[in-house]
Amino acid sequence: MNNFVPLSTLQPRNKLCAWCAIWRDTILARKVDIDRLVVVAGGDCSNALNDGERVSFSGIPTSYFFYPFNGNTAMMKDELHSLCTFLGGLQDKSVFSRIEDIKKQALELDRMRVNDEISAATCFGKLISCSDLQGDVDAFAKSLMEVSCTSQIVEYTSRIALIGLPPIYHDFHDIAASFGLHIVYDELPYEFVRICGNSMDELAENYATYTFSRSLRFRLEFLKKELAMRDIDGVIHYTQHSCHHNLEDDIMRNEIDKPFLTIQGDLPSATPEQVKLRLEAFSEMLRGKGIDRT
Amino acid sequence: MIGLDVGSRTAKLVMMDGDEISDHKVINSRHWRELLDIFMKEGKTSSNISDNVPGNVDGAHDGDLICATGYFRKKIPNYCNITEITAAIYGVRHYYPDADVVVDIGGQDTKIIDMRYNSFQLNDKCSAGTGAFLEFIAKYFDIDVEQLGTLHATAKNPAILNQTCGIFALSEMISCMVNEDNIADVVAGMHNSFARRISHMIPECSSVVLIGGVVKNGGIVAALSDILDCEILLPPEPQIVNALGAALYGDSML
Repeated sequence: MNNFVPLSTLQPRNKLCAWCAIWRDTILARKVDIDRLVVVAGGDCSNALNDGERVSFSGIPTSYFFYPFNGNTAMMKDELHSLCTFLGGLQDKSVFSRIEDIKKQALELDRMRVNDEISAATCFGKLISCSDLQGDVDAFAKSLMEVSCTSQIVEYTSRIALIGLPPIYHDFHDIAASFGLHIVYDELPYEFVRICGNSMDELAENYATYTFSRSLRFRLEFLKKELAMRDIDGVIHYTQHSCHHNLEDDIMRNEIDKPFLTIQGDLPSATPEQVKLRLEAFSEMLRGKGIDRT
Repeated sequence: MIGLDVGSRTAKLVMMDGDEISDHKVINSRHWRELLDIFMKEGKTSSNISDNVPGNVDGAHDGDLICATGYFRKKIPNYCNITEITAAIYGVRHYYPDADVVVDIGGQDTKIIDMRYNSFQLNDKCSAGTGAFLEFIAKYFDIDVEQLGTLHATAKNPAILNQTCGIFALSEMISCMVNEDNIADVVAGMHNSFARRISHMIPECSSVVLIGGVVKNGGIVAALSDILDCEILLPPEPQIVNALGAALYGDSML
């Protein structure tokens, strides 16, 4: 769904977050052919539980996955086993190391963009796809390899951390780059990449650290380390209309001691002009066109 | 140097002579080109706008250079352009170098710029805190938008309006009229509601500078002054501050 929603023209039936509402309406309208639905109902999106239940009423078998808020690895392991059983059981243990290798390759892409060797848009496209490997492990691994062999020279004026949700605007990273903003950290996609494991035990231990499911203090502690390592000039906090992450915005602003821009998206589209204005103004401010008091 | 701010509703031109404004003019946005024509006819500028191309500071040009801002800034021939947010900072500093926060209430959006912390917020999800809303209300009452401030000044018992949506706020105002409330009280209540909406976006601070065409409405200024617990500063020509800021910025780039 990460690849589907930003290109959707579907108008969801209610005005909750479109990231969530569109997958729900897409499934209910049978526009995607699925046999079963797995909903991350705890520790990710607060609306997902209700939307998953709505889908289950349509007759599609639905499983609910809950991340532990307190990072309890035993609970995490139970959840992973339940998920595994729902999906038909573990058929081939070699898949663990296969995916681990792919994620290592994706981490290399992340390193390249931090070192200005690859554009943020190219990197983001691959990192976000590490959530589902685009449904084809081999094809995705090949595309990752191809991209990592393509070195680019990235020019910019400011280094940006993009925290919160992935933008619903399909060209967001390119638009940011056009204003000189090089996004060197995509918070959520990076979670998809950094977490893996070679066994169920390892997976449970590592996925229990998924920052979005944990307390804000835990997430901030992790975030601050990443921001320091990536040498950023400013932070963009992207949230969605009617998303519970909006309620975290002022805490994030207070805790992160960097110039901070909040952008709230809504329906999928190209980046709207109002958002472009914000990005351009943020870029101007970061370049010092107006911040120095005389 | 010419600062040209072509916003959603009006175009503003400011002409500088050194650090001072030598002339300015405001016109409907659709006719922004006429602004330059008028100044040329009056012999105030020899600016050939086509000479204004990005970066052409030292190149051949017959007249004044233009720094553009506003929604249409990239449609205007200019040697440089900046967003309204940066323009506002430059313009406000000209009058109040130590002010904390700028509140720029325009035709289509409201911008809150915290000059202390290099941050800003815009409302664009709702028209209730914009000039468009005031025009909408004035049209309903069949009065000029300029009369809203005059009516506010005569209000004795402002109505209490609670709706956060502009359309439903009008419904609430109509209900007040059904109950035979005085129109001045209803308008004052609307201004108070408008100011409350904007105040939620304004951070705690010592001073707020009000700019934009909407703050020519004394009712809005009065309502904001009542709500905000800080010094309220009003430049002499609040509508042209962004054009002034563009001119000052352009000058600083030479």
